[in-house]
Amino acid sequence: MTISTGPLPPTHRTPVALARGFLTGSVVGTSLAALVVGGVVESVPLFVAGLVLPAVYGLLFVLAGSPRRAREAAVVPRTALAVIESRTVVGGESSDVPVRFELTVAPDAGPAYRVEVTQDVNVVDLPDYRPRGVVVVRYPPDRPWQVRIVKRPTPEWEERAASARLDPAPEAARAVAPAEVRGVGFVGLLGLLIGAAAVVLLFSSDLSGRDDAAKPPSASRPSVSSTSSTTVVSSVSGTVALGPGRSYLDEGEPDRALDTLAQGGGALRALTVVVQERTLSVVFAPAGTQAPGFDPRALPYDRFPALVEEAATGLAVRSPRTWQLTAEGLTGSLVIRIVVTGAEGTASLEADGRGNVVRREPPR
Amino acid sequence: MGLHGYLVLWCGVFGALALVGYGRSLAGMTRAQRTVRAKGRIERVDVPRHGSSPREGISVVVSFQDPATGQEFTVTNDGECGDLIDVAWTGREIGVHYPPGRPHAFRFAGHRAEGGRGLAWPTFALFLVYAGPVAVAAIERGWPWALVGFCGPWALSGLYHLPGNMRDRNRRLDELAGMACVPGRVVAVLKSVSTDDDGHTSTRLVPVVTFTTLDGRAVTAYCESGLPDPAGSRGLDVPVHYAPEDPAVFTLDVGSMRRSWQWDKAVNVVGVLIVAAAAVVGAVML
Repeated sequence: MTISTGPLPPTHRTPVALARGFLTGSVVGTSLAALVVGGVVESVPLFVAGLVLPAVYGLLFVLAGSPRRAREAAVVPRTALAVIESRTVVGGESSDVPVRFELTVAPDAGPAYRVEVTQDVNVVDLPDYRPRGVVVVRYPPDRPWQVRIVKRPTPEWEERAASARLDPAPEAARAVAPAEVRGVGFVGLLGLLIGAAAVVLLFSSDLSGRDDAAKPPSASRPSVSSTSSTTVVSSVSGTVALGPGRSYLDEGEPDRALDTLAQGGGALRALTVVVQERTLSVVFAPAGTQAPGFDPRALPYDRFPALVEEAATGLAVRSPRTWQLTAEGLTGSLVIRIVVTGAEGTASLEADGRGNVVRREPPR
Repeated sequence: MGLHGYLVLWCGVFGALALVGYGRSLAGMTRAQRTVRAKGRIERVDVPRHGSSPREGISVVVSFQDPATGQEFTVTNDGECGDLIDVAWTGREIGVHYPPGRPHAFRFAGHRAEGGRGLAWPTFALFLVYAGPVAVAAIERGWPWALVGFCGPWALSGLYHLPGNMRDRNRRLDELAGMACVPGRVVAVLKSVSTDDDGHTSTRLVPVVTFTTLDGRAVTAYCESGLPDPAGSRGLDVPVHYAPEDPAVFTLDVGSMRRSWQWDKAVNVVGVLIVAAAAVVGAVML
């Protein structure tokens, strides 16, 4: 019998308990994330994996624990007399209330010891469990702290309990359960987070693709997104408006805007592209027709600042001005027209598809 | 992996489980086959305390002999001990089951049946194997396949068992006609109050009736039906009708029980007809 003066310290069980806690947390996190991610990205295998994984783990968990359970079940419980040192009703709103008993257990063979147990007792039967009363208890010999009061003892034990007088055991002789391994909850939570994060990271590309695919061009209703720029896309045109402090004369901005418009699907064909300081609009060429069009990515965006500057020649440098660049390929060859308006008037020029100036009109 | 891939996986897993289960049964290794089934005898019956819990059954002392060792055991129904003992009298025979070599892990069984061969789980696995293709057929070819696939075998099984069920119900009706009537008394009303997570309280009242049969057996039994006011029934004298060959079959209201069995017969027939009709509708709609 294991009688000690304090909780038994966790020994070799510690690494196993921690590993089991981590594994359990990982399986829970992975399966939950697989269910959610599988549902979002509409992946049936991932969703099924989220269902199968905990089932398989649960089965393995049960199988792994079966030898221990069989070993414990094979132990013949021991019956003994015990005296109630104290009792405390610890709550409950039903007719069976949990009661905490402080008992001195007096086995037939072996020293008496103290133990604290909590057991449900019907309120009608509470008077049967007064302090200093003798009761019959049962416990597995290898786990003396797992004491259970026998509410209906056999006639033989009933007679023994009725005639017994037991002395309280010293406080030092106390049977207590081994202490719980510390940190199991923490590693379980860690495993849960890692498992969930692993699934999300593995499928992050699908998730982000899903986000983008959630904004396809629609013939009936334009879709609008709002970040640092605003995009309005329909089946006939697309417009990307930049936020404050940004300009389409900045390097890379036109390409980013066209990337945004192209995410709805496939290559872009444009009839007309209109670019202003913070607005880029594309009129799409009708799909499946032979209408003339051009690839808006092929425009010489790196030449735009120079073309705008050149068009503004003759206008006051410091005066506020606006500009608009229109590219169209309706006549077959690509023509870029730049118009700059200032306080003094409007100036314009025309350039070819490579950004070479072919005609200039001074301010009027 | 497409739908058929999942179907193959489903059938493979549950087919393997079914095979393992049937194999274990053939080898005599299932829990049901290995369980030791001893015959217990009730040596003492205690009348329950008024107001106490009905969950633990009538307090009895039972003795049984381990067939393997011949050792005698005297036990009580304290705690989780299998079937609830709700009818008891001194001398009543009761089933005591336990794993081989572990009589301390006994469980009471209200019936003295020999027990099955442990085929319930393998058969359930086999049903799942069958249900997989039926479900896929219903998805791919239309809902009539579900009706035919599920209701067809169900209807055949119902038709096969219907005569036996009818004979059983008729036997019970005959049993009612042959019941003896003796005076009984409600000696206690057991009470169980439970509160669910939402704070709702539910109360279960179980009157306990005692009566002595014509051949002198003092029976103590739970009696949850037949009393109009269970809460105030303590001390009430009631006529008890019981089957002379088995006092565990008793009632306070023969007429009500007769109507109940007749209803049961009708429900059996109507249920089989509905399931058969569903299968026929499915077959016509194919």
